[in-house]
Order: sequence, then C-alpha cells, then structure tokens
Amino acid sequence: MGDLSELATLASKHMETWLFYLVALITVPFAFGVLLDRNIIRAGFLLIGVFGGISALFLLLQAQFLAMAQLMIYAVGITLVVVIALMLTNPRMEEDKSPSIPAQKAPAALVGTLLFIALYMAILSEGWGNNSEALSPDNITIIGYSLLTHYALPFEFASILLLIALVGAVMLAKHDHFNSKADIDEIEEETKEISERNEHVVKV
Amino acid sequence: MTSSAVPYNLNEIGKFFLLSGVWLGIIFGAVWAACWAVGMLVPQLILNAYPNDPCALNVANAIRLLTPLVGVMVFIPINAMYMVLAERRGLALFTVRKGPNRVGPDGFLQTAADAVKLLFKENINPHGGDVLMFTLAPIIFFAPSVFGAIPLLAAVTSNHDLFKIVNLPTGIFYVLAMSSIPVVGIVMGGWASNNKYSLVGGLRSAAQAISYEIPLVLAIITTCFLVGSLDVVNIAQMQKGTDNLASFGFLNWNFFGAGAIPHYLDLLMQGKLEGAQVVTSAFWSLALAFCCILLCGIYLTGACAEINRIPFDLPEAESELVSGYNTEYSGIRFAIFFLAEFTNLFIVSTVAVVMWFGGGATPFPGFLDANTFASIATPFNQALAQAGLPPLMDGQTMSGAFWAIFKTYALVYFAILVRGTLPRFRIDQLLDFGWKKLIPLSLILLLAVTYIRELV
Amino acid sequence: MFALVGRSIESLYQVARGLKTVFKHTVRPPITKNFPDDMPDLPGHFRGRLALAVNPQTSEHLCISCLQCERVCPDKCIQITSHKSPETNKPELIEFKIDHGLCMFCGLCTEVCPTSCIINTNDFEMADYTRESLVYDLKRLTLSQDESAHYFAKKELPMPKPKPPKPAAKPAAPAAAAKPAEDKPEAKPEVKAEAKPQDLPAAPAPESPKKEEQ
Repeated sequence: MGDLSELATLASKHMETWLFYLVALITVPFAFGVLLDRNIIRAGFLLIGVFGGISALFLLLQAQFLAMAQLMIYAVGITLVVVIALMLTNPRMEEDKSPSIPAQKAPAALVGTLLFIALYMAILSEGWGNNSEALSPDNITIIGYSLLTHYALPFEFASILLLIALVGAVMLAKHDHFNSKADIDEIEEETKEISERNEHVVKV
Repeated sequence: MTSSAVPYNLNEIGKFFLLSGVWLGIIFGAVWAACWAVGMLVPQLILNAYPNDPCALNVANAIRLLTPLVGVMVFIPINAMYMVLAERRGLALFTVRKGPNRVGPDGFLQTAADAVKLLFKENINPHGGDVLMFTLAPIIFFAPSVFGAIPLLAAVTSNHDLFKIVNLPTGIFYVLAMSSIPVVGIVMGGWASNNKYSLVGGLRSAAQAISYEIPLVLAIITTCFLVGSLDVVNIAQMQKGTDNLASFGFLNWNFFGAGAIPHYLDLLMQGKLEGAQVVTSAFWSLALAFCCILLCGIYLTGACAEINRIPFDLPEAESELVSGYNTEYSGIRFAIFFLAEFTNLFIVSTVAVVMWFGGGATPFPGFLDANTFASIATPFNQALAQAGLPPLMDGQTMSGAFWAIFKTYALVYFAILVRGTLPRFRIDQLLDFGWKKLIPLSLILLLAVTYIRELV
Repeated sequence: MFALVGRSIESLYQVARGLKTVFKHTVRPPITKNFPDDMPDLPGHFRGRLALAVNPQTSEHLCISCLQCERVCPDKCIQITSHKSPETNKPELIEFKIDHGLCMFCGLCTEVCPTSCIINTNDFEMADYTRESLVYDLKRLTLSQDESAHYFAKKELPMPKPKPPKPAAKPAAPAAAAKPAEDKPEAKPEVKAEAKPQDLPAAPAPESPKKEEQ
C-alpha cells in the first residue's frame, strides 16, 4: 500500500504532463491523418478529432471557456461546414486518385518549410505567460473584462471582419447578372419576348 | 366534438399514469440506489476496512468521484426505455388508440422486449461503406449526451455533495458545447452508410443543426445575461422562490422575467411607487416577462430542431428518406442511435427546466418542499444508521430531484403532444424559418432584454 | 413588419388550437379493439372467406352444380366436379374446390349463385403455412347448419324453400344439425343423393342441367 500511495503522489505531481502527452498521442495521429488520408471527407472528419484534441489542451491549461468555444465553433460548426462543402464538390465521394504533380512538390515543400520556421521562431521569441492573469476557475469574467477593455480594438476588428464575410457571402449568393446594364437590358428583352408570346397564345 | 357526447376515458388515462409511476419509480429507485452505493456505501466500507490508511482514503475518494458518471450510466438506458413507452402510449391517447399493451402486464415491458431484441440482432455493414466511421458514428452521437448531462445533475439535486464536482463554472456553456457534437455523428453515419438516403439525411441534419443552434444559443445566452451567471447551480438557485412577495414561488422563475413581476408587486404593495411609475414599471416588468417567455419558446423550438423531433425530423423523414441517416443501421448500433435520441430529448428538457422553470424549486412555497421530504426520509435514514450504513437521502436533495423530474417530464409530455399535432416542415420552410425568423427575433430579444433589464 | 407580427400571432394561435384539439382527444375512449380478444363487428356484406351454405332449416346442401360461379370467376379459382346422377338425370356435386390463394374476394360468385349457396363469410383469418392448404375442398368449405342460419339472417337472404319431405331422409336431417360442424360434409352426399329426386320441382335453377364433368 505504501508504494501505491507514493506512486499516486508522483502521478498527481506530474499529472498535467502525463495528460499532455496522452492528449498529444491522440491528437498528432489525427493531424497526420488529415494530411495523409486520400479520402478527403474522412480527412475532414479527422479534423474534428484534431480540434477536439486542441480543446482538451485548453482544458489542461484551465481555460474551460476557450475549450468549450473551440469544441463548439471549430470542432463542430466550422468543420461540419467544411465537410458539407466537400461533399457538395465531390458528389461521388471516391478517393482522389489523380497523381500529384511533381512540379508542385518543390514549391510546396519550400513554402511548408518556411512556414514551419516562421512559426517556430515566433513561438520561441514571444514571452509566453509573463503577463497572464492568475489561474482561476472563474476566468470567464477575466476574459470578458479584457476583451472589452485591453483588447477592445482587435475584438471590434474581428467583428467587422466577420461582418464583411457575411455581407460577402450574401453578395455571392445573390445573382450577380443583375448588376450590369447590358444584362438588365437583355433580361428586359427576354421578358418582353415572353410576354408577347404569351399574348399570342392568349389570342390563339 | 360536442363535449356532452364525450365519454371520459379514465381507464386508459389511469393506465398511462400507473405505467408512468411504476417506471419512474424503477428509474429513480435504481439511480438513487446506484449513486448511494457508489458514493456513500462503498467508500465507507473501504474506510472501515482500512482505517488510517492514506491510500484507502484516496481510493475511496476516487470511487466517490465516479458517482455522477455511474448515476448517468444507470439512468440513460432505463430512462430511454420508459420514454419510448410513454411516447407510444401518450401518442396513442392523443390519437384515440390504445398503444402497446401486450408484453408484460398491460404492455409495461414492451420496450424492454424491444431493447433485448435489438441487442441480439445482427450488425450489418453496408456494402462499400466506411466500416470504421460507420461504427464510430453512433458512439459519437451517444457519448456527448452522457457527458453533457452531468453538470445538470448538480443543478437538479440542489448541489448535493456527491455532485458538487461536476458543477463547472462554465456549466451551461459546457452543456451547449456537448449538445452540438451529436450532429457530427449523424453526418458521419450518413456518409459512411454509402446510401443516398442516409447521405441526404445527414446533410439535412447538419444544415438544420447549424441553423437552429444559433437561436438556441442566443436564447440561452440572453437568459444568462439576465441572471448574470453561466453556472447551472447558480441559475437554478437564483430562481428559488420564497414565501415573500418579493420572490414568490413560481413567479420568481426566469420564465416570468427572472423575478421582475414579484419585485414589482412587492414595490407596489409597499407603496414605494408613485404616480406614473406605477404604470411604467408595470409595463417594463411585463415586457421583460414577455421577452423571457419568447426566449423560452425560441429555445424549445431550436431544441426540437437540434434533437430532430417532429416537426423538425427532416433528417429521418420516413416518407421521403426511408429512415434518413439511420437507414443502414441495425442491431446494437441502431439501438445506440435510438437511445441517444431519447436521452437528448430528456437533456434538452432538463436544460429548459434549469434555465426557465426554476430547476428543483417548488412552484408554491411550502408545497412538497424540503421539509416534507425530510420527514419522509428521516425514518429510512434512522433505520440505516442503526445498521451502521450511511444515510440514504436528505430532504433538500429529494425535493429538488422530485420537482426537477416532475417539470422535466412535463416538458417531455409537451414534446409528445407537439409530435402528435404538428406536421413535418419542408426543408426550405425549415431553413427559412430558422434564418429569417428565429435568428432575427433572438437578436432583437438579446438587445431588448439588455435594455429592459436596466429599466425594470 | 406589423403584418409579420400579426401573422406570427395568428399562426401561434392556430398551433395552440391544434394542440388543444389533440389534447382533447385524450379523454375519448380508444376506438381500437384488442383484436384477437375482441373480434371486430363486421357488417353482413363483408367479403371474407368463401363458403358453401346448407339449408338452415333442413341442412341440405344448397349447391346444384350449375357452374355459374365457376364461369363468372375472374381468377378461375373455383373448380367444380359434378356428374349426372343416373337416377334423376340431374347434375350432382362430387367435389368443390376454391383456391383462396388465388381468390381476390370480388364476390361475383356469390352474386350469380341461384340458390345463395356460395357466400362470403365474415372470416378473414386465413393465414396458413403452405399454398396447398389455401385450396379449400368441399369438406372445409361447407358450413354447418347453425353457421348457415347465422349468415342467412345476417345477410338477410331469402330462406331457400325446404325440399318436399321424403319420409325416410327428412326426420334424420334436423337431428344431424345438432352435431358438430365437422360431421356435416361427410353426411351430406348421402342425404343429397336421397333428396335429389324430390329436388326437381323445388330448385329454382333457371340453368339447363350440366352434362359435362370437370
């Protein structure tokens, strides 16, 4: 029993680290799956697993609110939209068997490497966690407070960005051939023709 | 429809209530016994066996932490069995039929027989389907409803010691996040079935869930604004009425404007309002109550769509899509889908009860409250104490649980009534209603409540 | 905007009315019956299993082998075997077969039957394990005297005229009526063979007697 209790204290001391590795062990294969799976829709579903893993990481960092938001918005909302878009573009849902073009491989590798280096350096250079608030289970209040005071400007910019996206989506969904003058003339002519034809039919 | 010509159907109604009573007794007896055993009895036995051992203490605590999970795990299958039966018998009442009445005494065991049958049926994998995803889909559909229900346990048992740990500060947000996951299971199952009907069902489900989640979440967030908390226990306890007029019984519920009306009545009775204030204050109180009733309506509508109940059951519209996303499912995987569907209905009703109908609070002060239940519980506890066992229950928890269950099942029966009445939407009407009516309405209400709250 | 609000209120009211109507149905007694326990009360003209009636008063078989039903049947599911009686020169029934697996219960045979012999009973539970057992023979088709009386009363059919008494056969027939239904078809051929000579004036068959055999 003595050994067991020692083990328990040891485990609880490094609990967070163990859990981090556990989550990583689950999430990283999902991430590779997203990249390597030839079946694009299955890759989309694997993305849900990746986002779920990230939200588990947030939970480990005591950021409950962020974890829930991550799960709700990224893991479900956005990924589902992505998956549906994929289903609509590839109705037969077969595996993509077209061979990759060698000419694209080198630039892709270059861009990927550069991106990785940039991210790595950014992560190293930033002084993470220096000015963080005290960890508390009630950090929703802190999030709300800092969003509307210290980070008010980025927050508003994000809202405007979303608004622009929304308006853009509405514009895309509308029929844009009503915009140009020539199109409108064409349509008017067509309607005239049709109405004439209809009159003719009525007369007959 | 002449009222004089209607002979009363007390026989069938009586049978329905008897059935409900027996099944609810079974469900909550089992859940209560399981929670008591895991949360109190086993830890106590361990501590008695190894006194003064820190390791035994750890083990006992670990077992105690499992109580909420065990409670939910025991609850879900039995509850789903009862709800299927209640739905069939209730619908039979509404459609002037008798419903299942052959298996067991008067059909009490019909769903138990169905469950056993489903468990023994063959699992068939569709040709050309993605077997892994096909198997995973029911699990993804079902698991969130288990974990999502857990924080609500704390709310409905008046924050009992055993369930305190599941009371997250982000309570209601957690429930919402969890309840949004099942859609993934539906889309996944629909896609992995390699069947056109399933795929269309899955796609419809995704479109519907994404559209109706927005008004649903907005309705809940607005109520959280009003209350000033995301914590389910906090929200439930704030609505607890007293016998003062300032927070009288059911008038204190969020459904009636989060205490605006009794507060106004109290001020009026004490003569603190003068002149035009009497009218304006009454107007704003009533406006807030009206907004809250609308919010509750939006939530119930959105929830109906989220869990694919009739009139929003387009993902499994049997007249168009055979059975929608679960066309290809059979055996235990189908049973899991079925189980989760009814559990989701229960969870959604519980959320509504916690958010708007006062959680475990009595509607009338003094009516079947903690004292009444304490007087029932005392003899049991004394008998157990004499046998050296931990107490079985306390009045506070019993009263909370009783009223929460009562209100939840009242909402479930309302859902059954709606199912018996309304026809199914068409998919374009459904999206139109969601995006063009409910979302603007909930946004307007969000604004209105924020302002009116200051004016009351 | 106001129109929208008005429409919302209107639709909410209509939904509430619908809910109220459905809820009011709760207090109505169910119109369903516990089928195997309570048999449905079917009207006389219900077209169920075909059967051959006997005279409710005298228990004589009513079939005169006119073959009209066989000819009118659109499914050709009736098969009658008869021969010419050497004594009376009249057709005499030997076998009567109806394939209920083929029958579509149109009721045409019952309409043409001159003696109201072939009738649709109210029996509809005919599920069976083989197709062969759906072919009913004379024994299974013939009803008992009580059953015939029941259906004659229920369908309000005119009573067939009792055949002129033949001292030897007639007193025996009412006594036979008390026996269980299964005995009847076996008893029939002898009874009929004896009754046939007297049958001639009573039978209202407009058809000339059939000579051929099936």
